Amino acid sequence: MKIRTEQFKQVAIKEMANARTKMFLGLLPPVFAAMRASALATFPDPAAATAYSASIREEVVASLPELLEEFEKNAVARGAKVFWARDARQANEFILDLARKKGITYTTKGKSMVSEEMGLNDYLKNNGIEPFETDLGEFIAQQLNRPPFHLVGPAINVPPEEICELFIEKADMQEPTHDPVQLGYAARRYLRDKFHNLDMSITGINMAVAETGTIINVENEGNIRLNKSTPKTQVSIMSLEKVVPTMRDAMHLLRMLCRNCTGQKISAYVSFDSGPKKADEIDGPDELYIVIIDNGRSRIYQDLKTRQSLRCIRCGACMNNCPVYSTIGGYPYGWAYTGPMGQVLTPLMLGFDKTQDLYRACTLCGSCKSVCPGGIDHPGMFLYYRSKDVEGDQKFKAKKRDWKEERFFDLWSFGTTRSWAWKLGSKLVRPFLNIHAHHGIVSKIIGGYAFEGWFRNRDLPAFPEKTFHERWKDIQ
Amino acid sequence: MKTVSMFIPCTVDIMLPQIGDDTYRLLKRLDVNPLYHEDQTCCGQPAINAGYLKHAREVAKHFIDVFGEDEVVVSPSGSCVWTVKHHYPELLCDEPDYAQRAEELAGRIYELSQYIVDVLGLEDVGASFQGKVTYHESCHILRGLGISDQPKRLITAAKGVEFMPLNNADRCCGFGGEFANNYPDISEEMVKDKVNNYISSKADLLVLCEPGCMLNIGGYLSRNRPDKKVMHIASFLSASI
Amino acid sequence: MNVRDEILGKLKSAPKQDISTKTRMPPLNELSFDKEEMIEKFIQEQTEQTSAVHRVKDGSAVLKKLSEIIKEEGLHKVMVSTDDVVAPLDLVSWGKENDVQVFTAQDFKDRKDFTDSVFDSVEAGITVADYAVAETGTIGIIHDKNQPRLVSIAPIMQITIVPVERMVQVYEQVTDKVFGQKEVPSHFTFTTGPSMTADIQATAFKGMHGPRRMIIILVG
Repeated sequence: MKIRTEQFKQVAIKEMANARTKMFLGLLPPVFAAMRASALATFPDPAAATAYSASIREEVVASLPELLEEFEKNAVARGAKVFWARDARQANEFILDLARKKGITYTTKGKSMVSEEMGLNDYLKNNGIEPFETDLGEFIAQQLNRPPFHLVGPAINVPPEEICELFIEKADMQEPTHDPVQLGYAARRYLRDKFHNLDMSITGINMAVAETGTIINVENEGNIRLNKSTPKTQVSIMSLEKVVPTMRDAMHLLRMLCRNCTGQKISAYVSFDSGPKKADEIDGPDELYIVIIDNGRSRIYQDLKTRQSLRCIRCGACMNNCPVYSTIGGYPYGWAYTGPMGQVLTPLMLGFDKTQDLYRACTLCGSCKSVCPGGIDHPGMFLYYRSKDVEGDQKFKAKKRDWKEERFFDLWSFGTTRSWAWKLGSKLVRPFLNIHAHHGIVSKIIGGYAFEGWFRNRDLPAFPEKTFHERWKDIQ
Repeated sequence: MKTVSMFIPCTVDIMLPQIGDDTYRLLKRLDVNPLYHEDQTCCGQPAINAGYLKHAREVAKHFIDVFGEDEVVVSPSGSCVWTVKHHYPELLCDEPDYAQRAEELAGRIYELSQYIVDVLGLEDVGASFQGKVTYHESCHILRGLGISDQPKRLITAAKGVEFMPLNNADRCCGFGGEFANNYPDISEEMVKDKVNNYISSKADLLVLCEPGCMLNIGGYLSRNRPDKKVMHIASFLSASI
Repeated sequence: MNVRDEILGKLKSAPKQDISTKTRMPPLNELSFDKEEMIEKFIQEQTEQTSAVHRVKDGSAVLKKLSEIIKEEGLHKVMVSTDDVVAPLDLVSWGKENDVQVFTAQDFKDRKDFTDSVFDSVEAGITVADYAVAETGTIGIIHDKNQPRLVSIAPIMQITIVPVERMVQVYEQVTDKVFGQKEVPSHFTFTTGPSMTADIQATAFKGMHGPRRMIIILVG
């Protein structure tokens, strides 16, 4: 997937002018948010349930290496083959190599965010293996070559007319239709054939249970179950943090994931794989490969603050509750991960220099943090990233700030730590600020060069004659 | 008579000093003796938000030097109170003496409506307003400090008030400090949304507890709908008593 | 050093974190359900998922109900499980009496023929629930040689026989059992309603890749 994180502002402006985007953003996030609240109400104490899932994720991150070892041991004991990949390149190469060994010409994929991160689809395609996304939304997004609009519904905003054209061209659809259900059925027919003759599948992993060596996938469509049933070879990819201590922990996270993600109490299908099929079984993979990929996470893990990002369970509740996401949609975030969780993870993966807007385009309102079942403090993370920028910390490829901003804060802190300077400063600056004041209002400052973003469509009150400091004597 | 130390934040001091006047008058009216330390300046929030932690640290220490001995500190700005309570202890973690004082101060600093309702135990302060009033739940006040009931009780206790619910009352207004100026397109959409919800609430007045939100919503109204008013809760309550 | 040791090494040498004690939460509401409440909740949840739910007394009543369903749905070819609940029903004989071809996985020489049948010719899959969870009207199936994976996911209709005594209140009561043994199934599924999606225009519909319709026969 092409990285477009540096076009955040332009894409945001374009999306805000898009009537379709506006319509979906007016509809989806609030509906998801309401369904989430209603589904969480099945718990006797939803807040305690959220705190509990956060504490499970905290434990996962704190004990990450030990849990990964335990998972691997148990998975291998069940007959799974585990491959560790340092980065996307290694993981992609392994999968391609396996595909070639198996002599396949195509593969089908279950929805996997980490495979987007790896750029696996493009890699396979460029090397002669055709990868078919099978989750309906991912299938559409793949054909359109677009980043996801939303974590859960990546193509939910795409008009049926466009999908119709697409399916006629690329999915063997014979009769045109704009009915979403008929379009869905057309995709079913097209992809069913791919499942039927499949030799090797690729899936993601929602949870890897250390206690039993079991991988768990959560879905509504059935494509992942088919991917786990027809082919002789199954490859399932997980990033490090997908591990979960016990099966009971996994069940609680399952409830939290589904409620936070789509407002369902549970998805239509939850499948648990503990090794490949047994000898006397007629379907299922003879070989199950579990790819455990790092891709920068062991680096992220070194910092006690940034490792918090590894608590994310990819539920999407953060974006459904984010006022900025609800205004601009998924495209501006420019990569595989969107919304607040993308704002937390993408800068750590790609470097702060290329992702400035991601952690600055946030009002720190805290809605994301308040709903996160992983217990992530998104606003706190953004403030941390901003402070790393100021330091120019190269561990994060942080870009130092503009010298004007640094001088401003030097001046500001001089004035803010000495009350004489504060009082003097406020007095001196007032006449300049009020040059264009009219009728008690200021609509621009210094000929329109300062704070032009604000003054485009907002006024400020004219700066009063006396500050509160100066009025104090009069009030008493 | 209780003595409280007023923390009048920079936005109020320089841009909206009448909120300071109104806070003083309101507290006095409630039989509180409000002190004002003239050495106070700012809590340091702008520097924290911009990542200038070294600078913020100096400002935080100055703040603690000014307010550290006070029994009770009250402020008409929730985000500033939140900065002191939530950020200061971590900001000063390498200076144990200041960190300790920050931890202790955190337990003695209150947002204005929280102080009146939770500490003074008052809801009816003798205020009145003939008309429909609605309330915007500022982010740091609601999600940061957990304050929501208190301002609404103060508003509904005022004689003549008809309280109107505000759609998406808890949704951010788009201020976010530097965000409003650096991402004006997004910020404007957000404040426009807030204002549309205000208008469709049919309220005559929007009351809030946060000076930043007031500058933002008020600033947009001034340019686009100068007929619609917004008021800080200190001004709303003190106007009629 | 291999990549595995490199990654684990980096993780292990990272600064150690102080973690807070695990929080607690009150027990789930569903744990207080008695048998009838479980069944009621199960039926309610299934119905919300658009499943058709029938309740019958015993094995012969199951066969009668299946005959009705076959006629109503116009089914001529079905694939069935061979586990210890379905096998005694002798669906092959029943099929002969009801003009419907009944296949089992054992009928096929190899997995390719089996796969072709379950994808292209079979109209419904008949399986049994190894477990039923009242909490969300969920069926738990242990997939093995008697309950192949494809039988309950490839055909467009899924018919599941649910012995009422296999009903429990919450998921953990199932997973504790299934994963608490020494031998763990290679593949285990929780199924809640038919396959579905809302990926186009947020328009929800059933039957994306898996079954479009689900019929439950509660026995006992």
